[in-house]
Amino acid sequence: MTDPDPTTTGPLAPDDITADSPFTLPGFFGALSEGRLVAARCTECDEHMLPPRTACYSCGGRAVSLSEQPKTGEVVSYTSVNRPPSAFEHLAPVTVAVVELDSSARLTGRVDAALADVAIGDRVELRVRDPEAAGIDPAFDLSYEAEWPVHVFELA
Amino acid sequence: MSTAHLIAVGSSPLGETDLPGRDLFSKALAEAFAGLPDPADVVDGLYVGAQSERYENQIMQGTLMAEWAGLRNVPAERVEACAAAGALALKNAVRDVRAGVHDAVLACGVEKMTAGGTEGATNALGAAFERALEQRSGITAPATYALLARRYLHETDATEEDLARIAVKNHRNAADNPRAMFQQAVDLGTVMEAPDVAPPLKLYDCAPVTDGAAAVVVANNEVAEDLSECTDAVRVAGVGSAANNLAVAERDLTYVEGADVAATAAYEDAGIGASDVDVAEVHDAFTVCEALLAEAAGFAPEGRGTETVTDPADRSAGWTDVRINTSGGLKARGHPIGATGLLQAIEAHEQLTGRAGARQVADADTALLINEGGVADAHTAAHVLTTR
Ligand SMILES: [Zn+2]
Repeated sequence: MTDPDPTTTGPLAPDDITADSPFTLPGFFGALSEGRLVAARCTECDEHMLPPRTACYSCGGRAVSLSEQPKTGEVVSYTSVNRPPSAFEHLAPVTVAVVELDSSARLTGRVDAALADVAIGDRVELRVRDPEAAGIDPAFDLSYEAEWPVHVFELA
Repeated sequence: MSTAHLIAVGSSPLGETDLPGRDLFSKALAEAFAGLPDPADVVDGLYVGAQSERYENQIMQGTLMAEWAGLRNVPAERVEACAAAGALALKNAVRDVRAGVHDAVLACGVEKMTAGGTEGATNALGAAFERALEQRSGITAPATYALLARRYLHETDATEEDLARIAVKNHRNAADNPRAMFQQAVDLGTVMEAPDVAPPLKLYDCAPVTDGAAAVVVANNEVAEDLSECTDAVRVAGVGSAANNLAVAERDLTYVEGADVAATAAYEDAGIGASDVDVAEVHDAFTVCEALLAEAAGFAPEGRGTETVTDPADRSAGWTDVRINTSGGLKARGHPIGATGLLQAIEAHEQLTGRAGARQVADADTALLINEGGVADAHTAAHVLTTR
């Protein structure tokens, strides 16, 4: 999964971009459902990108490799969605945060805690959940998303 | 390269209305072309900014608006970058006129946001956010801007009250703007005590859901000269635009880099600097955004953006004397998504032609417009307008 030798990477070929590669969303969520959070890492400038993609927004390079991410990090910013989209309505208020993982990759996610219990700098850990078990209306999913897990942060 | 001028402007009433999008467009068009020849005799192309087909279950807005304007067999296209759609329509019209592709182009924008209620608007706007990780975490427009606001308050000396004062200032400005949705002042206590939407943002930190349309005519020197008896030309001197990353998590939360790039490009195109700008309409979809944009546009030193509310004489060192959101901004003038960028242009046209009434800024000759789409600077389009 993780490229052991990033110096060998270059632009991906069309045949590399398949539904079982984390460079595509089905592959990324397939890995996530097995408990692995995989980012793209730019071998030129070390930018980390979630979900993975085939080019680096930071330097424009296409020499990207895959890099399994730590699930721990800290809260960069946070809020509470008091009127969320319909599919999340019965979860309201939904606490959400931007989290910087210990690798420096950043992603947004729900936080399984009340707003008052969260602060900038708090340590959190990413958990993987089944969307229906998480209480999200299955009607929210597009057909190809139905098997994709969702992520949520818990206070460490 | 031809010179592009904004020669005529019009808008519909702003707010919740019984009129669908095409009828709101008819109102805006009627104002813009009052006293002018028929649109078909003036313009030979059209761009329409429209955020979402969800509101009225209608795409093909370019074709529809051209038809409603009496234009036949002309290029007519919808452009989209969420709330930056209006400025994109303007940008494309200016590009075509400058390139000599057309002598005059109609740039318009329309949004019927109330059609599906608050829930419909929330869901339609949610499509502007990154799908795989952010939409699937239940975020909304207020929540994404709250993430910016929380971080801004953490990194700077600014307080929730400083953000609230931006809403107070914009409501005060809107009270003098006959086009505005909310033509009344609000006091600081009302803003501070309003219900939370996405903390630290409260109700009055957020622009309203608005129905509305706007239309402007962009013309070259010859058309502007031909119609000079019945119009007032303002030169579009600078254009800039830039995208930033879609996911809010993958952007600097307190520096809207894409807006900086777009504004800088517009200044360079116009051959001016930030200190030359007298009036600016910047995208205050949420109060924090006005502060961030004041800094990105080069008006304010880093961390001092909330001084948009302060009299120029009393601002921190490094601030320019620009007046920001004299129209009342998105907050109080209203924010019909696809039309907003053009409503900004209309305010600049009124200020630069001395038609801004009680909100007129004395001797204003140069304006900056910053229109954004997605979360903050996911897309930015900037224009410099001038009578110099
Ligand atoms: Zn890179």
